Amino acid sequence: MSNAPSALVIGGGSTGCGIVRDLAMRGLDVTLVEKGNLTHGTTGRMHGLLHSGGRYAVADQSSATECIEENRVLRRIATHCVEMTGGLFVQRPEDEDEYFERKLEGCRECGIPAEVLSPEEAREIEPHLARDIERAIRVPDGAIDPFRLCVANAAAAIDHGARVETHAEVTDVLVENGEAVGVEIEHESGEGSFVHGEAGEREEIYADHIINATGAWAGQIGDMAGVDVAVRPSKGVMTIMNVRQVDTVINRCKPKGDADIVVPHETTCILGTTDEEVDDPEDYPEEGWEVDMMIDTLSKLVPMLSEARTIRSFWGVRPLYEPPAVASEDPTDITRDFFLLDHDDRDDLPGMTSIVGGKLTTYRLMAEKIADHVCDRLDVDAECRTAEEPLPGSEDFSVLRDWMDEFGLRSPVGRRSAERLGSRMDEVIGEWDGPNPTVCECEAVTRAEIHDAIEGAGSDLNAVRLRTRASMGNCQGAFCCHRMANELVPEYDEVVARDAFEDLYQERWKGERHALWGQQLSQATLKHMLHATTMNRDSDPAATEEPVDFGAFDPGPDATSAPGAGTESAGGPDDAVADGGTGIEAAGGPDRDGSNPAGETDADS
Amino acid sequence: MSDTEFSNSTGPTAQDDFEPVSVFEDGEMDLRPGADNCYKCSVCDTTCPVAEVDDDFPGPKFQGPEQWRLKRKEDVEIDDSIMSCSNCMRCDDACPSGVPLSQMHNTARGAYVDEQMTKLSREYVRNRILANYGTLARLGSAVPRLTNFVMGNSLVQTVNEKLLGITAERDFPEFATETFREWWAERGGPRVRSEDKRVAYFHGCYSNYNTPEVGKAMVRVFEAFGYEVVVPRQRCSGTPMFANGMLDDAERAASVNVSELSDLLEEGYDVIASCTSCSMSLRQEYPELFQLSGIEEVAANTYESLEYLRIHEDLDGELADASVDEQAFAYHAPCHARNQGLDRQAVELFREVDGVEMEDVGDSCSGISGTYGWKEEKYETSMKIGEDMFEHMDDAAGEVGMTECPTCSMQMEHGTGYEIEHPLQLLDDALC
Repeated sequence: MSNAPSALVIGGGSTGCGIVRDLAMRGLDVTLVEKGNLTHGTTGRMHGLLHSGGRYAVADQSSATECIEENRVLRRIATHCVEMTGGLFVQRPEDEDEYFERKLEGCRECGIPAEVLSPEEAREIEPHLARDIERAIRVPDGAIDPFRLCVANAAAAIDHGARVETHAEVTDVLVENGEAVGVEIEHESGEGSFVHGEAGEREEIYADHIINATGAWAGQIGDMAGVDVAVRPSKGVMTIMNVRQVDTVINRCKPKGDADIVVPHETTCILGTTDEEVDDPEDYPEEGWEVDMMIDTLSKLVPMLSEARTIRSFWGVRPLYEPPAVASEDPTDITRDFFLLDHDDRDDLPGMTSIVGGKLTTYRLMAEKIADHVCDRLDVDAECRTAEEPLPGSEDFSVLRDWMDEFGLRSPVGRRSAERLGSRMDEVIGEWDGPNPTVCECEAVTRAEIHDAIEGAGSDLNAVRLRTRASMGNCQGAFCCHRMANELVPEYDEVVARDAFEDLYQERWKGERHALWGQQLSQATLKHMLHATTMNRDSDPAATEEPVDFGAFDPGPDATSAPGAGTESAGGPDDAVADGGTGIEAAGGPDRDGSNPAGETDADS
Repeated sequence: MSDTEFSNSTGPTAQDDFEPVSVFEDGEMDLRPGADNCYKCSVCDTTCPVAEVDDDFPGPKFQGPEQWRLKRKEDVEIDDSIMSCSNCMRCDDACPSGVPLSQMHNTARGAYVDEQMTKLSREYVRNRILANYGTLARLGSAVPRLTNFVMGNSLVQTVNEKLLGITAERDFPEFATETFREWWAERGGPRVRSEDKRVAYFHGCYSNYNTPEVGKAMVRVFEAFGYEVVVPRQRCSGTPMFANGMLDDAERAASVNVSELSDLLEEGYDVIASCTSCSMSLRQEYPELFQLSGIEEVAANTYESLEYLRIHEDLDGELADASVDEQAFAYHAPCHARNQGLDRQAVELFREVDGVEMEDVGDSCSGISGTYGWKEEKYETSMKIGEDMFEHMDDAAGEVGMTECPTCSMQMEHGTGYEIEHPLQLLDDALC
């Protein structure tokens, strides 16, 4: 154990991952605990927009300024997580001119590069935009992969000596003598890399300072410590399209409203979103009309969306917070700014700080502020270096190579692998020994990348999915869930692989349920039938708790009592099921009807 | 958002689901939305004749919807395996969900050749020559006897293989001493005039330069039914150009063809072709790949010649009393005929004719796919694909082959040594 001051971060979303990296780089002995996968909460359920700040340029200029600054930082330190697509704020005929002007002015006031485009210019960039648009403002929006971002932050933290425990739920905050001193966690599968099955092991972790970075769940952690953190969770729906209809972020240029953004994300487009306050961040209704409304509304910007295939929908919960005195009625009025709540100052509970509100684009800045605060509390004098030092995977990304020739991959597969792995391409694909087939064809993920993810995430195939995008394409795992599970063997045994397979399959189904019409319905049906008829997955006895009644199965073609084979050998009463040919009289008697099932007539006569 | 919008989406009409627009560099069409129709059933892969014999070929699902879905605006790179697709277009026919597979392949191949193939490479030069067979044939047939002599020389064949990569295994098709167009001019053009029964004959390159007897049979049959036949100025239909990714060449040829044929459409002519790949090209590939004025009308009014007669005339009735010298035929339906729903027409038409025994040799691909089987590195694949057909031809009673496609007929002859006829020739025998 080191003598460095220790810190414990609760929550493996972008904020928590950013904090653990920052503190580890400053030399603290730091541990992160997360109850699910990294990005399990809100981070994994967002539209993947790297804000230019344009969206906040009218109503919340301090957020907007932070966004553009952090946007530039992330482009530098997280190149392999970011795609600079550019963004457009599109004005439709029914949208106000005045707001358009204020948006433009706001962007300029906040230092966000903004350029007005004629409808022709906008449609030249994005030909699928509606023909009747008025004009557009071009801003440096981008797309960011939150999964890769969190994994890279966690990996950097581990490199700097941090401990990261996923699937470790906090069951209590330990308070001694009026001070928060640690937490009790329950490991879902034991300490370290996730392995299915072994639940329930408890551990107490003590630290000099605890950081509650659980977003929408911050109130629940607060309750455990006896402090009140009034987060106002607000749900929003997002729908994933099968292909990219646009390659630029498309925003609707109007004050606020539901369904006003399309983000090109990896191979897909993500439509967002709605804003509705909910009581419980884990239990709220997911309703079909929300999806329909969003597709209808966004079709006004990009008409082809109304006919396009959606592959799934999901809901995320924003961790909105405002000081209790503000009391906004409408969740859309709540600030997107973040708040650092020092529970010593606020609640006379030293040893713990909560961070609430905020957004993914500014995760690093939030992490920096809270790390400054923690260092201040713990009398550590160390500089923040997270804005300069690139994340693992984003070092030296300028090296462009012919991945296909070098690694024997088909060119789109090599290209996508390089986009995901960044500077880790050599390490992951180049050093792979042995055949490297494509495991997930929709997203072009090869065996080498799957194994790299298993090394990092253990047997949790959902974590493998988040790291690689395998099973996130149009077939939603129909052709690759089982292949991924197969890659767990022989390192993990059959039961672990089977459970991991089932978890992944069910997780995919969760989102597919909300896209069951048109082609995705055909896809889901094919998926079900393939798995049912080739792997017996609709009624696999090995997947149930019940013992298998082997007696219920016929004994096979070679057994004496089998139909057909039995007529000659004169076995038991089953002989009579033979098709009415020879042997019936011998077995049954003169009044037998050849079509009767075996035994019945015997019993009656 | 209901399923009904997609339920009838098979064949070329399904591509109306979206309007491809230029998104990529050089005006390349954005076919990513076409991937929406794919639910990955893989039927295309199981019907792909190349994938069946070549384990390194990833198959049409990868070439089409998967590769397109993975495309980004900024990267235009196409996997080089696209050049192993033979453009037989069987995947189009196989797809139960209306994925525009051949359109995706043609577009990707065009982009690959434009962006990634070295214009000085042997492959490019060879493909350019093969794709422009019509030009080659025009020069060759100016002095047909000399050309036939030279091309039949084994030394020349060896040089072709070593220098250009054109296989020495095949005998170059002989040029006719008189082309169809020369015959037509000599004859003085149409002998029948009609106000309401008018067809414009798209003979294509092969029946002009190599098998004018097919074109002549076509003229006699149509005139016998009272049609006015005209033979417009025309260039190659583009089929070999699509298959080699030479989309610019194809577009130049298409613009001539569309403009000539459009003018005739206005005068009440329908377009007929005796080559099923020519009719396929005019009907499907033209509107899928090019935006030319009148192209949709040309596509909608083009027919294969037998198909046209079966629609408009009582061919069965006419043939009921016909008889020909006793002959058994081994009939092979070309893949491109299959895609137009014409794969059974010769069998259905001739099976009742006295003296004719017409046996379908199965639904396999002949393997030559136009210029594909002429490439030295593809020759073996081509022959492996053709094996089924050769075997079935051998088993069939007939010693004469029959097909609508010129290159299928080359392959049939090459694999079996049979003489190969076009259905129009038999129809000519029976009726004229």
